[in-house]
Amino acid sequence: MNKSLKNPLVFTLFILPALILFLVFFIYPIFSSLYYSLTSWNGVSDTVKYTGMSNFEKALGDERFWVSVKNNGWFILFSVFIQVPLIILFSLLIANVKKLKGLYKTAVFMPSIMSTAVIGILWGFIYEPNIGLFNKLLGVIGIEPLYWLSDERFAMLSILITNAWQWTGFYIVMVLAAILSIPGELDEAAAIDGATGFQRATRITLPLIVPIISVVIMLSIAGAMKAADIVIVMTKGGPAGSTEVMATYMIKYAITNFKYGYGNAIAVLIFMFTLVVTALYQLLFARRNERIEY
Amino acid sequence: MKKSVTLLLSLLFVSSAIMAGCGNNNNSAGNQGEAAATNAANATESPATEKPASSEPFEMTIRHTQVGADKQKRLAILEDVVGKVQAEVPGLTFKLDGVDSDVNRKEKLRGEMAAGNPPEIFDLFGSPDSKIYAKEGKLLDLTPILEELGIKDKFSNLDPFTYEGKIYGLPIGGSGEGFFYNKEYYASKGWKAPTTFAELEQQLAAIKADGKVPLAGASKAGWVPLMLANHLWSRYAGPDVTAKFATGEAKWSDPNVVKGFAKYKEWEDKGYFKKGELGFEYAEYTTQFTSGEAILMYDGTWKSSVFKAGQSGEGLIGKVGFFNIPAVEGGVGDQTALMRDVNNGYGFSASAAKDERQLAAVKSFIKNMYNEEMQLRGLVEDGVLPAMKIDQAVLTKNITDDLMSEIVAVLNNSESSFPAFDSLVQADVTTEISNIQIQKLIGGQTTPEKMGEALQKIQEEANAAVE
Repeated sequence: MNKSLKNPLVFTLFILPALILFLVFFIYPIFSSLYYSLTSWNGVSDTVKYTGMSNFEKALGDERFWVSVKNNGWFILFSVFIQVPLIILFSLLIANVKKLKGLYKTAVFMPSIMSTAVIGILWGFIYEPNIGLFNKLLGVIGIEPLYWLSDERFAMLSILITNAWQWTGFYIVMVLAAILSIPGELDEAAAIDGATGFQRATRITLPLIVPIISVVIMLSIAGAMKAADIVIVMTKGGPAGSTEVMATYMIKYAITNFKYGYGNAIAVLIFMFTLVVTALYQLLFARRNERIEY
Repeated sequence: MKKSVTLLLSLLFVSSAIMAGCGNNNNSAGNQGEAAATNAANATESPATEKPASSEPFEMTIRHTQVGADKQKRLAILEDVVGKVQAEVPGLTFKLDGVDSDVNRKEKLRGEMAAGNPPEIFDLFGSPDSKIYAKEGKLLDLTPILEELGIKDKFSNLDPFTYEGKIYGLPIGGSGEGFFYNKEYYASKGWKAPTTFAELEQQLAAIKADGKVPLAGASKAGWVPLMLANHLWSRYAGPDVTAKFATGEAKWSDPNVVKGFAKYKEWEDKGYFKKGELGFEYAEYTTQFTSGEAILMYDGTWKSSVFKAGQSGEGLIGKVGFFNIPAVEGGVGDQTALMRDVNNGYGFSASAAKDERQLAAVKSFIKNMYNEEMQLRGLVEDGVLPAMKIDQAVLTKNITDDLMSEIVAVLNNSESSFPAFDSLVQADVTTEISNIQIQKLIGGQTTPEKMGEALQKIQEEANAAVE
C-alpha cells in the first residue's frame, strides 16, 4: 500500500477524480467568469466581443452598485457586532441550563433548517403594517404603525434582523459544541476557588472558545458577502433599490437584461471583495488565536 | 401463450381504434373553425399525407409554464392540442416539461439557448426575448408556416414576436389593462362607471372621504404601479409616445409625459392608494380588492379569472365591473386608447427546420393550437383574451360571464391600443423605471420632473449603446 503510493503514477491516479471535479466545478467556472467579464456577451450569442475593462469601469462608476456594496457592509457589521455577541450570550446560557437543554438547542436551531422563502413569508407577516406582530406590540405602547418593509429607513434593518434570526441558531450550535468540549475540571476548579458564574464565563469559557468564534465571524462575513435570497424574498431590493446587495444587483442589472458579460464582471468583483475582506480578517485577527491545547 | 396473443391482438385493435377516433375528432374540430382557416389547413395536410411518412418513433419536448393550480385550465388546453398533434404526426411522442414561468424565462431557456439545445417547442416571452434569440438565429422563422396555414393575418398583433419582418413566435393570448371596480359599492352610492376624468377623480375623493381605500396598491414589484402610470402618461402625451423614446423622437422629460407622472404623484399625495404599498406583493393587490377594502384596482384583464366559482374572488361574482381610463383634459392623441399586450406565447427551435418530421409536428402544433376553437376556450375557461381576430358575433355568443362581456365592450369601444412600455424601451430603462424611479415617486423621494430627467438620461445611454 505505502509502496504503491510512492509511485507517482499511482498517486496521480488516486487524486485524479478529486482533481478533475475541482477543475471542472471550481477552477474552470472562475476562469470562464473572468473571461466573460471582459466581454459584452449577451448570454445567448455564439460570438463574444472583447471589451476590456469597460464592465468593471461601469460597475465601479455606478452609484447603485456602491449602494449595494454598502448594504453588504451593513450585513457584515450587523453580523459581527450584533449577531456574534448574541450568539455567544445564548450559547453560554444554553450551556449552563440544567434542564431541557435538548429542547433549547432544537428551538434555536430550527430557523436554520427552514427555507429562506418560508422565512420571508413568515417575517412578512411579522412586519405587516396592519396586522403584523411588531406593529401590534408598538401599538400597545402607543406608537403609530411603522412600514417596516416599505419605508427606506427600516427596510434594511428588517432584513438584517430576519437574516440574523435565520442563522443565529446554526452558529449557536457550533459555539455550544465548543463550550461543551471544554474539560469540566477547569470550571470546577475555578468554582472551588470562589469564581462567580460571570467570572468563569468571561475568564475561562470565552478565551477557550475564541477559535470557534473566529470561525463563526469568518463564516458570517462570507455569508454576508453573498447574501441574496433573503433580500429577494423580503423586499426584492426595494423600496427604490435601497436594500439592493451585490448579488441582487448582479441579477437585476445584468442577468435579467441579457448582459452576461457585465454580470460576470460583478461576480468577479464579489469574489475579489470577499477575498480581500476575509484575507484582511485572517491577517488582522484570526491568525493570533489558532489553536488551544488543554 | 394463446391468451397473451389474444391480449396483444385486442390491445392492437383497441389502440388503433382510439387512434382512428382521435383522427376523426380532429377533423371535425377543424371543420368547426372558420372556413378559410380550415381550407388552408386541409391544403397543407394533404401534401403531408401524400408522401410516405416514416412512422419510426421520435420524441419532441414542449416546455410549458402551466404549473400550479391556477393554470390547470390552460394545461388542459395544451394537453388536448398535444393529443391531436400526436395523432396527426406518425411516430411522434411529446414530452411535456413544465417549468415555472420566471425560471423558464430568465434561467432555463436562456441557458439552453446559449448551449444550443433548447426544447423544440417552448414558452417564449415576446419582447425583448424573442428578438434577441431571433437575432442569434436560435428561433424557427414561422412566416412561411403561417402563410401556408393561411393564418398570418389572423393575429391582432405580432409585433413583439417580429424581428426584421419575420415572425418568430406566436402569442397565446392577449390582455388589456383598465380599472376593475366594485359594482356593489358603486351602486350603494348611486354611481356608474365614470365617463370623464373629472368624474373619476370625484369618485376617488369621495371613496377616500368615506374611509375606504380608493385604489389597491402593491408596489413591491415596480411593474404593478407602472401599469397605471404607463396608461396615464400615454393619455397625457399620446398612446404612441413610449415607442418614440427608443428612437429619440420623444423624451421622458417632455412636459406631457411629466404630467402623467405628476397625476400619479398627486393621487399618491392624496392618499388614494393603499398605505404601505411598497411592501406589498402583487398577490395582496387582488386581496385588497376582493376583500372590499379597496374599491378600484387597476389591473390586466387576466385578473377576471379570479372572479369565477372556486377562485379567490368568488364572493364578487357579478359585482365587478371594468372601465377604461377616461379622456384627460389636454391629452394628446386617441383618448380611448387601451394598453394591450400580447407578449406571452410559444416559440420553436431553429433546429426543427433541419428535420422534416419535426417541422411537420411544429406545423401541426400551430394549426391545432392557433385556431378559433382554442382561442375561445382560452377566453371562456381561462379569461385570456384571444390573440387572434375573432368575429364579434362569435365572441358574444360564447361569453356568458358579465365581467367578460364588459371587458370585451371596453375593448371594442377603444379605437386604438398601445403596448406596455417594457416591450418598447431597452431593458436598462425598464430596470431603472420599475426598480428605482416609480418607487421613488411613490415614496416621495423624487419629483415628476426629476423622474423624467433621470429616465431620459438612462434612455439616452441605452439609445447610444444601440447605435
